[in-house]
Amino acid sequence: MTALSAAFTVLSYCAAGVFFGGLLFQLWGYATTPSPLKIPVTPHPTTAAGVVKKNIIALATFGSLFKGNRWTWIGGYAFHVILIFVFVRHLRLFINPVPPLLAEIQPVALLGAMLLPLPLIYLWVRRKAVDRYDYISSPADHFALALLLLIGLTGLALKFVAHSDVVRIKEFLLGLVMLSPVEIPAHPVFLCHFSLVLILAIFFPFSKLLHAGGVFFTPTRVQVDNPRESRHINPWGN
Amino acid sequence: MAKTDFEIPKLEHPVKIPAIMEGASSHLSIHPANEQMKTKLGFPEKRVDNWQETAIAKLGELKDKYRSLKIFLDVCVKCGSCADKCHYFLGTGDPNNMPVARQELMRKVYRKNFTIGGKLFGSLARAEDLTEEVLKEWVTYFHQCSQCRRCSVFCPFGIDTAEITMAAREIMDSIGVGHKYSLEIIGKVHDTGNNLGIPKPALTSTLEFLEEDVKETTGADVKFPLDVEGAEVLMVVPSADFFSSPHVDSLVGYAKVFHAAGVSFTFSSHASEFANFGMFVGNYAQMQKIAGRIVQAAHDLKVKRIVVGECGHAWRVAYSFWNTLVGPFDFLDQAHPAPQHICEFTNGLIKRGALKLDKSANDEFTVTFHDSCNVARASRMGDTPGGQFEIPREILKATCNKYVEMPEEVNRERTFCCGGGGGLLTDELMELRVKGAAPKAAALKEMMDEKGVNVMAMICAICKAQFTKVLPYYDIPMETVGGVHQFVSNAIQLGDK
Amino acid sequence: MAMVEMAGKQLDLDEDGYLTNLEQWDKQVADALAKTEGIEMSEAHWEVVNFLRDYYAEFKIAPMIRILTKEIGKKLGKEKGNTKYLYELYPGGPAKQACKIAGLPKPTGCV
Repeated sequence: MTALSAAFTVLSYCAAGVFFGGLLFQLWGYATTPSPLKIPVTPHPTTAAGVVKKNIIALATFGSLFKGNRWTWIGGYAFHVILIFVFVRHLRLFINPVPPLLAEIQPVALLGAMLLPLPLIYLWVRRKAVDRYDYISSPADHFALALLLLIGLTGLALKFVAHSDVVRIKEFLLGLVMLSPVEIPAHPVFLCHFSLVLILAIFFPFSKLLHAGGVFFTPTRVQVDNPRESRHINPWGN
Repeated sequence: MAKTDFEIPKLEHPVKIPAIMEGASSHLSIHPANEQMKTKLGFPEKRVDNWQETAIAKLGELKDKYRSLKIFLDVCVKCGSCADKCHYFLGTGDPNNMPVARQELMRKVYRKNFTIGGKLFGSLARAEDLTEEVLKEWVTYFHQCSQCRRCSVFCPFGIDTAEITMAAREIMDSIGVGHKYSLEIIGKVHDTGNNLGIPKPALTSTLEFLEEDVKETTGADVKFPLDVEGAEVLMVVPSADFFSSPHVDSLVGYAKVFHAAGVSFTFSSHASEFANFGMFVGNYAQMQKIAGRIVQAAHDLKVKRIVVGECGHAWRVAYSFWNTLVGPFDFLDQAHPAPQHICEFTNGLIKRGALKLDKSANDEFTVTFHDSCNVARASRMGDTPGGQFEIPREILKATCNKYVEMPEEVNRERTFCCGGGGGLLTDELMELRVKGAAPKAAALKEMMDEKGVNVMAMICAICKAQFTKVLPYYDIPMETVGGVHQFVSNAIQLGDK
Repeated sequence: MAMVEMAGKQLDLDEDGYLTNLEQWDKQVADALAKTEGIEMSEAHWEVVNFLRDYYAEFKIAPMIRILTKEIGKKLGKEKGNTKYLYELYPGGPAKQACKIAGLPKPTGCV
């Protein structure tokens, strides 16, 4: 194995370790921290089933953001929907053989995934252009946008500009997944794209991107509004 | 109209989002609590020498005790959805009054001390030590949040700035930096049973006065009983109901409802306060202790039910927290919710046809309803979500011929705070209170001009006190403010005339 | 808290300008405190202040506004027995402003 392949293999496993380990650590922290009091933001469902339904709808629609600001919602919602396309588009590289359904939807997935830079640029412009958003933005916010945008652009370049050998890329990725690493394709754009993804994986659990997991634990949204009917116990109370 | 040394906002509905003006409300700060007020509640008498360490340790403790705090400090993506939702930002234009920016005041300290990014990258990650200047920002801007939860409604993750403000105030108290207004009041509850400090003889005389007054005006023997053992209901009201106007008109309304329903009730001199400022300062033990007085009174007086009066934040504490803090309520009659809001009680009677109401008694009024934040966004009434909106409105519609709804964007869960909630109903913050009231006052003004509204009914003692004080700055008469049970009081027909 | 010289006396005032030592009050002090509020004390103003002080002496608390208005109505005529009239006398509010001039502590709570 070349030094390059060895380095990337090690880095890949490190990044995966940080990503999954970090994510588990953080979510475990949320799950095990007590909620002393009932604090749902009302009106709110009074049954567990109602809460699940409300949160599924919230997840599918970003309803709170829609109520809050439609212009931000358009960008944010589009971005997250496109992420699904990107995911589907990349899934084929990790599964062998590719299931027929997954193969069939690839053209659609590609069409969606191609749009990734648009909402990112839009959100970035908004962040700079509106005085309130500019004020609250930190280097970390710009870094996250830059990272995602670069990943998208290098990804598009691989498809449309500097064509890469997708079969070799798939062999490399499957090798990593199956714990029998093979040589990495030494394609410069792919190496860029892949490196950026590794950075994202490391950044993710220790950044605001953690919202993707935290949202499932937010007491204001996931508690049931039934404090009179059912006594909520504070584990550290008396 | 009172004289001011600040510019009073022009009322415009819907409210315009201001351009940000850094430091626009940085001069508005609180009176510090004195040594006696602090030590009484177990806080250090003055700022402790190692205040930074102590504060950071307290932040660490709180984030491990409150999942809300821990998550809220991590997951904000700074989408800005909340940025223009706070009445204090809309009224002052100070960027630190954008909910996300207010949260950042704590987050930057959290990052510096508790996150890898903050420790590695420092100011690049917007991580900062708790310096003298940062503490000053905390004192200022965590006392420019009324814990109204409006921002949380629009947050994709339900981040509630109130949780962060409460934690910040708890941290500040723990290092000996406290707000006079809240701490003095909490001390008074422990001493006298109520926020005003009304001793029992004064309470007795006040209630006797009301009995005579109601007898004179209606001819009915409506009772205002105090400390009557064996009464069916313990009635707990905000002590402002024993003191202020228009608060007292609702108090008279409650008593008339009990009288008409033939349900015996009593006030308690031990628990002559429904308000619970323990919540405003984020102190669990104080909140529990204050609520404990009420349960103690219920036991002592051997009542079967607890009904509570018109007070917003206290209804949140009672509805959402009492069962956890001082429950279970298995010693009370299980046929009724415990605690029960007076609006639930009254509306139940109205629906059963148990009250005789003459709507024409309120014909001089065109009434609208102001949803108080803690009732709207932190509680419920009745059995179904949103009952906290419907039940008071049903009462108003059953007692008044002319009822008008507020515009949707300032109504129900989107209601704006009166500008005086969360422990900010204090004179040194008058400029903030006037400016923070602007969004709701603008909507009211529009209703007055367009729909002929001449009263705004509400079910919160703070809202009543705040609006009677600040609406005159906008040339809206203080008589525009009323309690829901004031209109019940007007309309109710007492049998024994 | 601060010491302020007023009406020829050293007065202990709290942050809001209320006397913290109620013993220090006398009519000259009341006049001086009224001046800081922009109020010229008239007969009617004194009626309010005197009633507040009498009530406080008995109950250690200011009276409910409704009790005050009724009392003023009895003394000065029914048309003056209302909150509106009290606010004409004391634009800063009968509870807070009149209490300050009467040398009573500031009412606390949701008032």
